[in-house]
Amino acid sequence: MSEAAHTVKSYEEELKNLNANIIKMGSACEEALGKAIQAITTRNSDFAEAVIKDDEKIDKYEALVEQQVVNLIALRQPMAIDLRETVTALKMSSDLERIGDLAKNISKRTLLLNENLPKNLVDSLIRVSSNVQKQLKSTLDAYLERSAPMAVNVWESDEQIDDLTNLCMQEVIKYLKENEKNLEDGTHLLFVTKNIERIGDHTTNIAEQIFYLVKGEYLEGDRPKGTEPIVTGEK
Amino acid sequence: MIKIKAKDVDVFYGKKQALFNISLDIEENQVTALIGPSGCGKSTFLRCLNRMNDVIDICSVKGEILINDFNINDKGCDVVRLREKIGMVFQKPNPFPKTLYENVSYGPTIHGIAQSKQEMDEIVETSLKKAALWEEVKDRLHEPGTGLSGGQQQRLCIARAISVSPEVILMDEPCSALDPIATAQIEELIDGLKKEHTIIIVTHSMAQAARVSQNTGFFHLGQLIEHGSTDKIFKNPDNKKTQDYITGRFG
Amino acid sequence: MNKNKEQLLKKRYKAEQRFRLYGQSAIFMALLFLTFFIFKIFSTGHSAFQKTWLIVPVTFDAELMMLEQNPSNVDIQDADYYDIALKSMADLDLNANEDQENELKRMVSYFFEKEIKNELLNDPSLIGKTKEVYLTASDDLDQVFKGNYPRDLPEDQRRVSDYQLKIFDQLVANGKVESKFNISFFTNPDSREAELAGIASSFMGSIFSILVCLMIAFPVAVLAAIYLEEFAPKNRFTDFIEVNINNLAAVPSIVFGLLGLGVLLAIFQLPRSTPLVGGITLSLMTLPTIIIAARASLKAVPPSIREAALAMGASRMQTTMHHTVPLSMPGTLSGTIIGLAQALGETAPLILIGMVAFVNTIPGSPMDPAASLPVQIYIWAESAERGFVEKVSACIMVLLGFLITMNLFAQIIRHKFEKKWS
Repeated sequence: MSEAAHTVKSYEEELKNLNANIIKMGSACEEALGKAIQAITTRNSDFAEAVIKDDEKIDKYEALVEQQVVNLIALRQPMAIDLRETVTALKMSSDLERIGDLAKNISKRTLLLNENLPKNLVDSLIRVSSNVQKQLKSTLDAYLERSAPMAVNVWESDEQIDDLTNLCMQEVIKYLKENEKNLEDGTHLLFVTKNIERIGDHTTNIAEQIFYLVKGEYLEGDRPKGTEPIVTGEK
Repeated sequence: MIKIKAKDVDVFYGKKQALFNISLDIEENQVTALIGPSGCGKSTFLRCLNRMNDVIDICSVKGEILINDFNINDKGCDVVRLREKIGMVFQKPNPFPKTLYENVSYGPTIHGIAQSKQEMDEIVETSLKKAALWEEVKDRLHEPGTGLSGGQQQRLCIARAISVSPEVILMDEPCSALDPIATAQIEELIDGLKKEHTIIIVTHSMAQAARVSQNTGFFHLGQLIEHGSTDKIFKNPDNKKTQDYITGRFG
Repeated sequence: MNKNKEQLLKKRYKAEQRFRLYGQSAIFMALLFLTFFIFKIFSTGHSAFQKTWLIVPVTFDAELMMLEQNPSNVDIQDADYYDIALKSMADLDLNANEDQENELKRMVSYFFEKEIKNELLNDPSLIGKTKEVYLTASDDLDQVFKGNYPRDLPEDQRRVSDYQLKIFDQLVANGKVESKFNISFFTNPDSREAELAGIASSFMGSIFSILVCLMIAFPVAVLAAIYLEEFAPKNRFTDFIEVNINNLAAVPSIVFGLLGLGVLLAIFQLPRSTPLVGGITLSLMTLPTIIIAARASLKAVPPSIREAALAMGASRMQTTMHHTVPLSMPGTLSGTIIGLAQALGETAPLILIGMVAFVNTIPGSPMDPAASLPVQIYIWAESAERGFVEKVSACIMVLLGFLITMNLFAQIIRHKFEKKWS
């Protein structure tokens, strides 16, 4: 962040406001994700319902940020770093809103689960989800600090998440194969796993955006990918 | 292709130095914008390019300015010929207090460009058409040039400048005295003119510089802080001062 | 706090009112003086535009005129008119003795011969006949008729005798005295006789002087102004010149007369008393005025026009001649006309170079001796005859008319050109 403030103070205020809203939105997402994971791993339906209800808040933030961005563009004609801030905020809000939705989805499915989950599944879930949570936190910290290295770190770690997700998927498929009764729950779990992976992707998107914000350039090359997803069908 | 090369240009007003070591390349048939706060020397630099600073007694220019590889600061440079090749449009429209026709035909007359009245008529018509003014004034070419609106007067000055087919057109804040519609018309004009002329425009409005130019130079306190493609300067400038100026963090 | 403000405001308004009052009273005083002056001049001078004529029957006696039968025009030209003229005046009082006949003769101007001759030339058939002829009354009788004469002074203190007055009153009673518009005031040259004196010679003298002055001063001054303003480098030397031009404008005019006397007449041996010398002397005086006016109007041309011309590739010469000078012309011209109007009114230098001599011919060129209008006023003001008093005022009126016309002309030119290029 440049140390000097805008000569027009109201402009400065508007940018600060936008920044604050993104941070608040990010916090809400972190909370939603944390509660959703706890809900499914400890079978806490109160948490699940809280997540579902609070998603409304996250949606409201997105609408607010969008309006603020349009105002800034129309009325302030932001240039250089201010322009990048504005565009980043718009894109981030979209990614964060999706994260919120995905967390809500996880909680919805949590409420539909019938049986208790076997320990290995829970462990797998915990492994992959805590990674994603960590990534989300890192990304939001990178945004707070406007740190390009931190953003790059997150970007490179997407690979790890892909690997962990694959492992989790394998476990779920094994669970599905074990018992016909597990079909319903297993399906939900597949979706939950996928959602967690999607949250990871969105987090990486945000990291890429933050890199652009700070550096003014785009991250070169393809995102590091993990092992190929499992092709099922064969014993 | 580089049309103008400025190398280590210093400008002094008496003992006071106004420009420090300016080195800048101007691309041919593109629009280069010079931006910067008031008093930073951008107009001074512009006026070096057609030796208009000669008019000011206490002003002295050092360094090389190469146009088509010829140094115009050389003693042997014919200023009159130079100004035929490098035209200028000023901040406040200043048409001559003569008829419209005479305004546009003045340049070709003194430089002996037209051989006959018919040729002169053609030059006047072409110049006015290129300046997007022909349709509005073709029926009153013999009325005083001062009877037009501000935007029309400025277009007349542009027509006058291009009547001698200059290679370079210098514009010193050409829109600052005009309303937004007239400004837009002039910007549209500049867009068309750059196909055949190299244009250098000094402007206070960064939005205008961003809209109109392909290259931008940022001046501050007599120094050229940064220059490059307009894209880069306005999206991701290298120098912090540049960014502070562009985003309104100066002062 | 508020009360203070109120008081201050009131004071300010009062001060404004006072100031306005001062201004108005100043103008009022000036107008008062002006009105008084003009009134005085007009009341004294208007009578000069009327001339008194005596209507006298003249018998064109061929014998007295020494004419043959059927004379040719040449004969009529060469004839002697003195006798018939004398006789026609003497016949006004058939009982007059010799002294009285002399007095009768002096009741008309010495031009009476010429007037009678002109009558015959116009109509040669008058030979042998009698006709009433208009003869110019003498200046004293002219004044008597206009009521300007002190008739009640004792006779030895007047130039008009009681006898002359008696005959005159008779003529008046018989309707033989008429007052007509005095054309000869404008067409006659100066004369020792007040009744015949006119301003033609001095008027032409003034015109020639002004023309010579214009032809010398205008080009020199305008070119000097253009050089000083547009081309000269700004250094101590040019500052020095500028200071001296302003000083020249303040030099008393009589000094220029001495210059003319010492240089033009003594060294160059130019003809004395001529509008040529007068014009040259006046041009020296008018030069600084025109230079100052021309420089001011050159300075007033906005620099944006010069810049536009230079940026088009015009050389400095072209910029100056095509743009700056034409735009500065209205101011320069009106400054010139004002300078010329001043020169028109100059008296002292022209006196010194001799344009004060008595000139009774109308000058045909600037090389002929002449007087000028202000000098004429001076000469007439010095004369003893009462008849010249009204002529002085009339001449002042003509001079003022000339000056007002010139200044009006300056206004019109300025207005016309300024409107065109605003």
